[in-house]
Amino acid sequence: MIGALKSWEGGLLLVFLATLALNAAFAPEFLTVQNQINLFQLSIEKIIVALVMALVIMNAEIDLSVASVMGLSAVVFAYLLNQGWGGGGALVVCLGVGLLAGMVNAVLVAKVGIPSLVVTLAMMIGYRGFSRVIVQDTSLGNFPEWITDLGQQGLIGPLPLSMVLFFLLLVGLGVLLHRTGFGRQVVVIGTNAEVARFSGLDVSRVKATLFVMSSVISAIAGVLYAARLGSVRGDSALGFELDIITMVLLGGVSIFGGKGSMMGVFLSILIILNLRNGMALLNITGHVQTGVIGILLILSVLLPNIVTELRARRARA
Amino acid sequence: MMNMKGLALAAGLVAGLMGSTALAEPVTATPGQEVNAVLLPKFLGILPFDQANRGAQEAAAELGSTGKLEYIGPTPENSAAGQIEMLTTATTQKQHVVMLSNNAGDQIAATAEAAQAAGTKVVTWDSPIPNGAGESFFVAQVDFGSIGVVMADMAYDLAGGAGEFAVLSASPDAANQNAWIDMMKEALKGDKYKDLKLVDVVYGNDQSEESYNRALGLVDKYPDLKVIMAPTTVGIVAAAKAMQDEGLCEKVKVSGLGLPAEMVSYSLNGCAPQFALWSFVDLGYLTYHASYALATGAIKGEVGEEFTAGRMGTFKIEEDPGRPGTKRVLMGPFTVYTKENVEAAAN
Repeated sequence: MIGALKSWEGGLLLVFLATLALNAAFAPEFLTVQNQINLFQLSIEKIIVALVMALVIMNAEIDLSVASVMGLSAVVFAYLLNQGWGGGGALVVCLGVGLLAGMVNAVLVAKVGIPSLVVTLAMMIGYRGFSRVIVQDTSLGNFPEWITDLGQQGLIGPLPLSMVLFFLLLVGLGVLLHRTGFGRQVVVIGTNAEVARFSGLDVSRVKATLFVMSSVISAIAGVLYAARLGSVRGDSALGFELDIITMVLLGGVSIFGGKGSMMGVFLSILIILNLRNGMALLNITGHVQTGVIGILLILSVLLPNIVTELRARRARA
Repeated sequence: MMNMKGLALAAGLVAGLMGSTALAEPVTATPGQEVNAVLLPKFLGILPFDQANRGAQEAAAELGSTGKLEYIGPTPENSAAGQIEMLTTATTQKQHVVMLSNNAGDQIAATAEAAQAAGTKVVTWDSPIPNGAGESFFVAQVDFGSIGVVMADMAYDLAGGAGEFAVLSASPDAANQNAWIDMMKEALKGDKYKDLKLVDVVYGNDQSEESYNRALGLVDKYPDLKVIMAPTTVGIVAAAKAMQDEGLCEKVKVSGLGLPAEMVSYSLNGCAPQFALWSFVDLGYLTYHASYALATGAIKGEVGEEFTAGRMGTFKIEEDPGRPGTKRVLMGPFTVYTKENVEAAAN
């Protein structure tokens, strides 16, 4: 028990429980079912992408293009609907956009060998440019009602489609990471790609798979974003990649790869969403919220280093 | 046929008379009730919205509401998503009324409808929800059609009746600016403006630096440009500063909607000889009065209802001519500022 609490996940659990307690004590509306759903819904596309970003970072790579892929997919979806396409056809095209974007990243990183930071930064700018070209300076809306209903209303009881997808993906990726050979390869390669390669692992295949997964899931998240808001712009989802990476890092995933758990990322998501929601209910908004989450991230980067250093000193003494 | 018409007319008259007797007296809301209200601007940190808040606070004090009036808003970079989040939160908090200057276009309509369904009224001011869904009514600063004409006229005057001009607007989803630009295009079809050519509409997203760069971009792209028309208080200052910094004030004049306090130096040095605006303090004051009357049930928010708004007098809810099927309360009028009257207004 004590041992579990000393782990990163244990610490996150404590922070999460403290946030819950504070929210429940100070914001009487916090514990309502609708508020709990709103709390997820308002950031749902980001947290969906955070789940797959966790795998990418554990593999010692990064995907900065996720938000631009989300934006591009949302824009393509809205554009096709406005051209008279059906929702199903538009969705398929968006999945194709995600697949293509993912394959470009995969080839450049895993085959050509350019660092993912560079590749995905370039794609982040490029795909955003496409979005802006497609919609120019306007917004695209007027979706069929069933699409906005699917984006906004409950599918299973009060749970909207996007929340159902989030939890399915959480369990699915959790199993993939912690219970399969592929998951173990992700972590081993993330720890040391050279050693993994000499041990006969197909490093580039694993990396390529992750980048394709990342872009396809981002494309789905983009469609969900369009359906939830009922209208999109060229700057839809702009800057989301930083929020997404923040969630993953706070979840204890090492930016150098090889370390982290799906449970940690899930707890980190819960903490950030609950903090934001609690602060909003207490009318603390904007820059203060950003500041608080920034401090949390700084602590999450510093604390493990401090702890390691202290242990090292104790061992020397 | 004549008879039928006459009958219909008579019936209409009777209905009209009955309607007007029922609503003859403007409603005055009972002061001292508990109204929890949120004033939600497009974003925090610019003067006009702070002025609107001052007016709303004045009205709240005057009406002696025992509830709270919160002034919260998103950051400019996160305006649309932030507004949706804040309106959702206000609904959860069971606020009685949210006063929204909408910067999210129709994206916020679903959230506003959910708010109304949960008992939180949504009154828009400054910038409406374009399709009107989820909105009780819109408190319009001035008639949107007349802003279009004034903008066309200012461009006409500054360009000397002929030549090229461009618009530097706020964000592409700002319903108010979009409506004014459309109205201006409508006005430009008049014969008087036939030698005046609108060459471009660009967006600075109400961010100073972006607007500044967009203004310079316009000058580069259109060497014969005579006027930059910026129907936003952020854009007009940025454009005027850009022209001043580049020494272009003789060639390219800046006009649009600006705050006298921010525009006084550009007005006097000739970079922006003419611009217009209304009082944001009054807009906030009227919006609070209307929202208080709606939240306390003194008015239902239906066309034809009249209510008193303290020092500003009586107002009426009417059909919004710019957005069929929606309702507005019209404040008006606005003032055109030149170097003659800008200094007095700036203080």
